[in-house]
Amino acid sequence: MEATYNYKVVRQFAIMTVVWGIVGMLVGVILSAQLIWPALTEALGPLAPYLSYGRIRPLHTNAVIFAFGGCALFATSLFIVQRTCQVRLLSDALASFVFWGWQLIIVLAAVSLPLGVTTGKEYAELEWPIDLLITVVWVAYAVLFIGTVIIRKTQHIYVANWFFGAYIITIAILHLVNSAELPWILGGGVAWWKSYSAYAGVHDAMVQWWYGHNAVGFFLTTAFLGMMYYFVPKQAGRPIFSYRLSIVHFWALNFIYMWAGPHHLLYTALPDWAQSLGMVFSLMLIAPSWGGMMNGIMTLSGAWHKLRTDPILKFLITALSFYGMSTFEGPMMSVKTVNALSHYTEWTIGHVHSGALGWVAMISIGSLYYLIPRLFGREEMYSTRLINVHFWWSTIGVVLYIAALWIAGVAQGLMWRATNADGTLTYSFAQSVNAMYPFYTIRLIGGTMFFAGMLLMAYNVWKTVAAGKAVNDARIPQAVAA
Amino acid sequence: MNPAQEIQQNPCFHCGEPVPKGSPYRIVYGGESKQACCRGCEAVAQTIIDSGNADYYRLRTDLPKTPEAALEELKNLQLYDLAEVQTSFVKSDGEMREASLILEGIVCAACVWLNERHLHQLPGVLAADINFSTRRARVRWDESRIRLSDILKSIQDIGYHAYPFDTSRQEELFRKERETAIRRLAIAGLGMMQVMMYAVPVYLAREGTMARDIEALMRFASMILTTPVVFYSAWPFFQGAWRDLKLRRAGMDVPVALGVGAAYAASVYGSFIGSEEVYFDSVTMFVFFLLTGRFLEMSARKRSAEAAESLVKLIPAAALRLPGYPADRREETVAAVKLAPGEHVMVGPGESFPADGAVAEGRSSVDESLLTGESHPVAKHPGSPVIGGTLNLESPLVVKVEKVGSDTVLSGIVRLLDRALAEKPRLAQLADRVAAWFVLALLLVAGAVAALWYAVDPSRAFWITVSVLVVSCPCALSLATPAALTAALGRLTRMGLLSTRGHALETLAHATDFVFDKTGTLTTGEFRLLDVVVERGDRGQALALARALEQGATHPVAMALRDSEEGPALAADELRYLPGKGVEGRVSGASYRLGAPEFVAAQPPAGRFPGGVTVVGLADDAGVLAWFGLGDAPREQARQLVAELQELGVTLHLFSGDRAENVAALAADLGIADARGAMLPEDKLAAVRALQQGGAIVAMTGDGVNDAPVLAQAQVSIAVDQGAEAAQAAADMVLLSSEIGRLADGVRMARRTQTVIRQNLSWSVLYNALAIPAAALGYVTPWLAGIGMSLSSLLVVLNAMRLSGLNRS
Amino acid sequence: MDILYLLIPLSLVFVAAIAGVFLWAVRSGQFEDMEGPAHRILMDDDLEPGPRDTGGRIKSDNNVD
Repeated sequence: MEATYNYKVVRQFAIMTVVWGIVGMLVGVILSAQLIWPALTEALGPLAPYLSYGRIRPLHTNAVIFAFGGCALFATSLFIVQRTCQVRLLSDALASFVFWGWQLIIVLAAVSLPLGVTTGKEYAELEWPIDLLITVVWVAYAVLFIGTVIIRKTQHIYVANWFFGAYIITIAILHLVNSAELPWILGGGVAWWKSYSAYAGVHDAMVQWWYGHNAVGFFLTTAFLGMMYYFVPKQAGRPIFSYRLSIVHFWALNFIYMWAGPHHLLYTALPDWAQSLGMVFSLMLIAPSWGGMMNGIMTLSGAWHKLRTDPILKFLITALSFYGMSTFEGPMMSVKTVNALSHYTEWTIGHVHSGALGWVAMISIGSLYYLIPRLFGREEMYSTRLINVHFWWSTIGVVLYIAALWIAGVAQGLMWRATNADGTLTYSFAQSVNAMYPFYTIRLIGGTMFFAGMLLMAYNVWKTVAAGKAVNDARIPQAVAA
Repeated sequence: MNPAQEIQQNPCFHCGEPVPKGSPYRIVYGGESKQACCRGCEAVAQTIIDSGNADYYRLRTDLPKTPEAALEELKNLQLYDLAEVQTSFVKSDGEMREASLILEGIVCAACVWLNERHLHQLPGVLAADINFSTRRARVRWDESRIRLSDILKSIQDIGYHAYPFDTSRQEELFRKERETAIRRLAIAGLGMMQVMMYAVPVYLAREGTMARDIEALMRFASMILTTPVVFYSAWPFFQGAWRDLKLRRAGMDVPVALGVGAAYAASVYGSFIGSEEVYFDSVTMFVFFLLTGRFLEMSARKRSAEAAESLVKLIPAAALRLPGYPADRREETVAAVKLAPGEHVMVGPGESFPADGAVAEGRSSVDESLLTGESHPVAKHPGSPVIGGTLNLESPLVVKVEKVGSDTVLSGIVRLLDRALAEKPRLAQLADRVAAWFVLALLLVAGAVAALWYAVDPSRAFWITVSVLVVSCPCALSLATPAALTAALGRLTRMGLLSTRGHALETLAHATDFVFDKTGTLTTGEFRLLDVVVERGDRGQALALARALEQGATHPVAMALRDSEEGPALAADELRYLPGKGVEGRVSGASYRLGAPEFVAAQPPAGRFPGGVTVVGLADDAGVLAWFGLGDAPREQARQLVAELQELGVTLHLFSGDRAENVAALAADLGIADARGAMLPEDKLAAVRALQQGGAIVAMTGDGVNDAPVLAQAQVSIAVDQGAEAAQAAADMVLLSSEIGRLADGVRMARRTQTVIRQNLSWSVLYNALAIPAAALGYVTPWLAGIGMSLSSLLVVLNAMRLSGLNRS
Repeated sequence: MDILYLLIPLSLVFVAAIAGVFLWAVRSGQFEDMEGPAHRILMDDDLEPGPRDTGGRIKSDNNVD
């Protein structure tokens, strides 16, 4: 029998990336509409509580990070590891388990979060039974990925796999440490699903933001850099600008990232020195982050003309530009004096979305456009023109979004801190909320454009897949004839 | 389609060379028939396509060389299957074998892809990895299923050349050294970063905001991490210091080891007694940056040595001996090292000569470029010398072995290079001596500082002393100067200009006068037709007649005349050679004479031919038809060299033993003002002395063998165009090729090296003059001292490394 | 900040683990060729079915054993 790659699991995850992307971004659009029209979902009567802002906001973050982003990472990492190691995945059964297990987790999250079942820890809201399931699926994924690396047929481990490996191991540790919790039922509680964190007070905050920051660092940065290090060279048809730099960048980035967490807790009960530590290491992060960005963008040196005609490359390179922007903005925001203005304002939301939409979503979309035709036995996507339209809608959407929230955040911060000569506050909180309306509206427009782009993508993917014939997995180059 | 019109313009599908008219060779690719320029390309391309690797043509970014047509001459590859031959380069484990191969012909990444895929497809090949940076392959195979010769053959089938090499020499050592260095560097780097994580909060914490127990926790964590950095990463510094102390020297490792050791020990002590004075962060950072500097210096050294290394690998491992030659032509295979002078070997086309010798039978041309940089193949006929390691191109040769092993030219060159690398340049020696004094003085200063501060404020005395030890930076002397010299030497070696003496480079930089000791250096050394004066008839006819009359002769004049292609082809008979005069004979019934003016009984037009030009006349019975002026033409590069050297401010002289008018003519042509002819070696010696008495620093070029006294008199001597005799050359530098333009590059390189060294020394003086007093006065914490010293040392090393031309591609 | 009594020893373990992985990578020659791997990934979709592959016939004995 001829050895082939396991493309089935890659296909499954790739399609679900598009599906969950649409779901997650739709929830985001609803949320941003609720900020303009707070009574929007009241009309749903008995259903209304389940769609209230406080319940579906974690649904949005979980859906886009872990469902959309997660599926994109599963699809690309499992694809890249097979291609660069020139070997089929360690186990097809394990691959299936990872896919269905992860989908189950997403569905459980989509049910439990609107029901109000939550631990209350940001990006780790899911309750203990789901946490256990996540642990099992993640370990299976780690075994699948690392096992595949171990049985590789090539001597060298391509740098993208290092990035994915670091992400998989770190996320496992982060999840285990942060989700350490006691089910209430063990203490005689009445709700079987409820649990309490193993940590208390400022310790819980410290652990939570060590987790929260590194979730961003390793889930949303390291892993997507792995994606970048494969798909940018592939789509550009050129080797990465400097392979050496990619290795140095890998070690430096991962090492420094670990310690920048406290910048989420500036001006809190955390000791002052720990806050300053977070700030110092956040600033140091600029160097490796920009190293990675330059490495990606410079890969195109000598082939800039390809950017004019290739919308997939446009997605990838624009994603890198947003990566560069947000990794500059982030450290700036961790400077205490800047943070004094920006903390708790819309600016933070804008920063997150320049990373999440500009970097994470766009690099995933670009990678999927590369991947899907190859997975379904097609030469290229059904319509390149639609990719181009998608690109422009997304880019304009992101720019509107972040520009609006940046101005909104600065305005908010200034209004909150403005005092009269006698020391009283110049503005009431409600006044600052009122001032947000125009920016919220622009944000809704931007977000809707991005969402609409995803619908275009779904159509394009549908036409590509439907027209594809029975899909054969690609044969593995016979590395060893022994 | 009707390709008849296009085909002639179409490049060869495989190699891109133009396809000759009517080429019958075809390659089937993607269902279409493509043109190939030769049988070699056809065979190679079809092998590639038939083995399922047609994608090579889609992936490649550069075109390969045209494969040599004589593919079937490769039976000698079987030599590599002999156990005797394999001992030097094959590792075996049962039936498993492993060898390292040098791959030639790799031009782009697709070549690596193709070779790897092709090797993997061979049944019995267990592993094949190709390193794209070094163009080396590591192959593992099962001896019971495939032989090494089959592997090498299959690589040749797809148009590349592979030969095994012995990894036991320096390369392996360098690999190990590099690996250890990376390990030490990595431990120091990780330690530095993590210790910083613990140290920064302590610095940031305002008074009372960090609990004492947390501070202690941070310290002990730092201590645990610093320990491997000190005892593993910094170990070479302690070793070096210990060696220096045993030899009663003061090298730069001494203050480093003292600083690191003292700071570490005191910090450990401080951790236990709960003191504020803990500097683990400084220790790790100091070690990390110092190691980075050393690592860079090591890389530069490696690149220099590579130039010599690549020469050694030219000698093939086995040879075909003809034990009964000339009576019996039976061949037997022996290891090249077993050859003895006087034996005969057969060397096929595409093979390298296993030893130095002379051609006994056959005619061929030989590629000596790897050795001499000479890009044109050199013709060889019976009697011609051949150099071991050079490549026979056209047809088989029987060679009588004359020198083997360490007596060969190649070994000689490698020895010269080794000597130059081992011989410390005067400048580096001086730098070492100064560094020793520097370190000694530093230790005294540190002692004095310790004593003074102990008297003033005992609590600060220790750390201020450590700061003084750490902040001082003798790197520009003992690290960057040798690094600059090695980098420059390596760069020059790659250009084909070897330095055989340590001082050569710095003297060359200062040379004010360049003396060429013979005209041959500046001319091609071949007679060429320079001018034709037609007295009667036409030029083409005259040249045709001259060609016909000289058709069989081998003297330089005849060869030069035969080079012309003007006029019809004529045949002469009844040729009669009159030695010293000329030749007479009949063409189409008429009789002609060709020779010196006396021989044709006429005088050439006065003033038409300059001095130094040999004039030959052609006459029939009615008188002179034409005059030919022949002479030795200047080399293409000579004019440029003269211009470039003059631009560099060097005065040029031509002291030649040649006829005065020849010398004057050449000098006038090239623009050399001081040209003296008909000089005896004693005259040259006197002239050079005279120049030197006038304060000149003289660089002299010569052939390196005949003019030893004069060359020795010059401050720096350069043997030119002496690939074969380079090993015997007494010169300080040897130009392996005939590309004399490299001499100007050499001067420029030498001067750049001096500039870089001077820059480094100035920086060093400035830095130390500021930093040491500041540290002695207590203004510099150990932390700052570590940063200052390590950045200063990195700066000078990086500056030195500019010379090796990092952007070589 | 008692949590540091957990986090700091944990960080030491991490560093040791990272150092271990890095040293393994050095020893196994992962950093020996810093050019080839970048090119190599560009050449991995050779055997995908597609019109451009028609020129190559795969020998039947390529995949033996």
